Amino acid sequence: MPRLSLWKDGTHSNDYKFFDRRISEMFTLGGTGILIHKYLGVEGEVLADATPTKPAYDAVSELNIQDLLFLENRDRKYDTSIYVSRGIYQVQDNSFDLSQFGLFIQTGTLFMVFHINDMVQLIGRKLINGDVLELQHLLDYNSLDDSVPVALKRFFVVSDAQFASEGFSPTWWPHLWRVKLNPMTASQEYKDILNNISSDPLDPNAAPVGDYLSTLNKYLKINDAVITQAEFDVPRSGYDSSVLYTKAVVPDGRPADPPGTGAVDGNVITADSTLSTADQQAVTSTAKVSGYGGGDGLAPNGLPVGNGIIFPTNANIGDYFLRLDYLPNRLFRFDGTRWNKVEDVTRTGLTPGAGNQTQLGSFINNDRTWTDASGQTRTERTSLSKALKPKADN
Amino acid sequence: MAQEFFYDAQIRRFITQFMRIVSNLQVEFGKTNTGAVALQRVPVYYGDSSRQVASILKNNSENMLSAVPAMAVYVYALQYDRERVQDPFLVSKVRIRERMYDPVTGNYLHEQGDLVTVDRPMPVPYKLTLKLDVWTSSTEQKLQLLEQLMILFNPALEIQSSDNYVDWASLTYVLLTDTSWSSRSVPVNAEEPIDIATMTFEIPIWISAPVAVKQFGVIKKIIASLYDSEGNLNIDILDNGRLISRQYFTPLNYGVLYSGNELILVKPEEIDNRRGGKYGTDDSWPALIDVYGGNFKNGISQIRLTTPAGYEVVGTAALHPTDKTRLLYTPFADTMPANTLNPVNAIIDPETVTVDSNILSPAAGTQYLILGDIGSYDNAQPSVAWPTSSGDNFVARANDIIKYINGEWTVAFDSLAAANVIEYVTNLNTGVQYRWHNSEWAKSVEGVYREGEWSLVL
Repeated sequence: MPRLSLWKDGTHSNDYKFFDRRISEMFTLGGTGILIHKYLGVEGEVLADATPTKPAYDAVSELNIQDLLFLENRDRKYDTSIYVSRGIYQVQDNSFDLSQFGLFIQTGTLFMVFHINDMVQLIGRKLINGDVLELQHLLDYNSLDDSVPVALKRFFVVSDAQFASEGFSPTWWPHLWRVKLNPMTASQEYKDILNNISSDPLDPNAAPVGDYLSTLNKYLKINDAVITQAEFDVPRSGYDSSVLYTKAVVPDGRPADPPGTGAVDGNVITADSTLSTADQQAVTSTAKVSGYGGGDGLAPNGLPVGNGIIFPTNANIGDYFLRLDYLPNRLFRFDGTRWNKVEDVTRTGLTPGAGNQTQLGSFINNDRTWTDASGQTRTERTSLSKALKPKADN
Repeated sequence: MAQEFFYDAQIRRFITQFMRIVSNLQVEFGKTNTGAVALQRVPVYYGDSSRQVASILKNNSENMLSAVPAMAVYVYALQYDRERVQDPFLVSKVRIRERMYDPVTGNYLHEQGDLVTVDRPMPVPYKLTLKLDVWTSSTEQKLQLLEQLMILFNPALEIQSSDNYVDWASLTYVLLTDTSWSSRSVPVNAEEPIDIATMTFEIPIWISAPVAVKQFGVIKKIIASLYDSEGNLNIDILDNGRLISRQYFTPLNYGVLYSGNELILVKPEEIDNRRGGKYGTDDSWPALIDVYGGNFKNGISQIRLTTPAGYEVVGTAALHPTDKTRLLYTPFADTMPANTLNPVNAIIDPETVTVDSNILSPAAGTQYLILGDIGSYDNAQPSVAWPTSSGDNFVARANDIIKYINGEWTVAFDSLAAANVIEYVTNLNTGVQYRWHNSEWAKSVEGVYREGEWSLVL
């Protein structure tokens, strides 16, 4: 009679198979339903944009690495099929953490075990880092926001995977695969999942579930509110002098009549007026109250301003005109003979974006183009390292 | 009794503006359906949120997914900045002309509104330290954000908490003082799934007490040279007789010419230059009144004239209906100088006056102010028109006041003897009061009033 031994020289014995079936049965009996979003790999760059550290790949594969410098896979692709599996884990109380960084995250790290052979049979491989699991029994039907049309799904990401110590049978062969699960974030890596699960499978126009699960939209609205408040407090750089009154003076420095005084008001004096003292009667100011930060192109005392790229030919003395072809735009006043500069429009919006025309902002928010000698349209804004970089000269 | 509450949200506004500075940044976020690079805006919010609000934002569910990338701003420190302390007791004054505001239409008009003075107490310097946490899900994403952030601060970025023209505490700058690359340690273990870079910023700010916005118009004139070379209060300030060293400054340094019932603007140094040899200028009263702040009311606004004797004549003024260079002036009778001499019945020229009963036999006590000499001690015979009871010559000089009493004329006011005094007398014939000063008679309050000797009360 041979000596009793559960270890069979590296082979999976019937003892192993017996244990494995019994363990699999335990998952069927007592495991919880898990939906697996299988990580397929990254697509890599298109060939034209590929670089040595960001290569292009012929096919999507778990073996692909998108960024060979930072060793990251950011644009992950997930199987459109969802695999239904069973897993077992110890339910525990989670606490929310209002961390020192002010970011509201949860520390709900879980450790879950799967039956290895069932798992491999189901998805073709073991679970790996980056696979996303949806725990069906944690579906939340009671969102605080009643307008959310779907129950909130609970997603975890596999962040570690290994044989479970408790999954070794007396045959010394492992039967369980233990994965460490961290809460999934609404980040670039999982965009393929969140953007491809419809909130209503029956409605082809329904928003993806990620729109309801992610805090992004809420925080963007909050951010917008803060920006709106900031723009209300400081609409543009510099100081607003538009509500200040500017006293008009005649050329020799004496005060001019205020608007609404006697015959002067409303008495239009044209450039070809024969009145020798015409300009002395002009009631508009040649200057403005201005503060640090420059002008805004508005005429003193709220008087009307024309604008364009050429001066009007029928201007009256005291008229204001904003030349839009000057950069920055420039406000002029007509004195009967010539157009005199009043101010440059240098006040600008401060919110980062197209309305920000600070010196730096004009470089960043520059969408101007031009046509080169070969007839090709080129953008002005160019990364410094790529400016005038030689093209392939075949 | 509790101190009056004030709160101007000064630090709150700086935090708001700082959050705007770092807003609207984007990162690459995979590809679109067409294969183009997709961009996602990165939200910025205040990091030290209350637990209750954080729960609301999470829909009270563990299942909500935190959006990455994101940036959070929070106050790290607020310290008194002793190095920037300036005169704590300084009160800066700014004079501002506002445009007229129509509360009915809710629009500003082209005309002048209020003229105000803003008294600003010296604000208190503080150093506000903010931290910006940059939460990203990959190193590449972090670099995209940092590259967009770090070019902003070279060496600093200006920031304003308001665009109010008189808010001298609104403008400051943001300094990037430190950058912490990662909240994780390298090599990264699996315990910490998130990565946060932290940037530290310092903003030297000013916290201001409430200012005082007051109606302007108290200062009517400024007298220079208050102190002498030894630092003592100049005696000329107190002594009206020592005018030579005084300087008066008024808006545009206009004087006024009071003649008849009109006031005309004059520039003392150019009195007869711009009206064809006549006194006064062609300058417009409405224009000058606008300098003073407008709000002139015909018949209510006042002009005050300070006479050489120190009297202040107060009267109402009104714009002339057709001539803007003239102002109609009506002095209050009770502000006119009191007569120092008995009133005269008329002013006469002895050489041309009609000799009738008014001369030969006037009522007792009749007085005339004469414009020419009467009689001479050298005359052989007394004048028939000016008899005396003794039969002697009656002699009076031009500018004297003569009085008929006891059947003969006598000199009631001897102009030669009173050369250095100031007297006032009213002509009962016209009701005009005259002043004797510097050996001549003139209408008592008419004449030129230089800058500092007249004022406008709107």
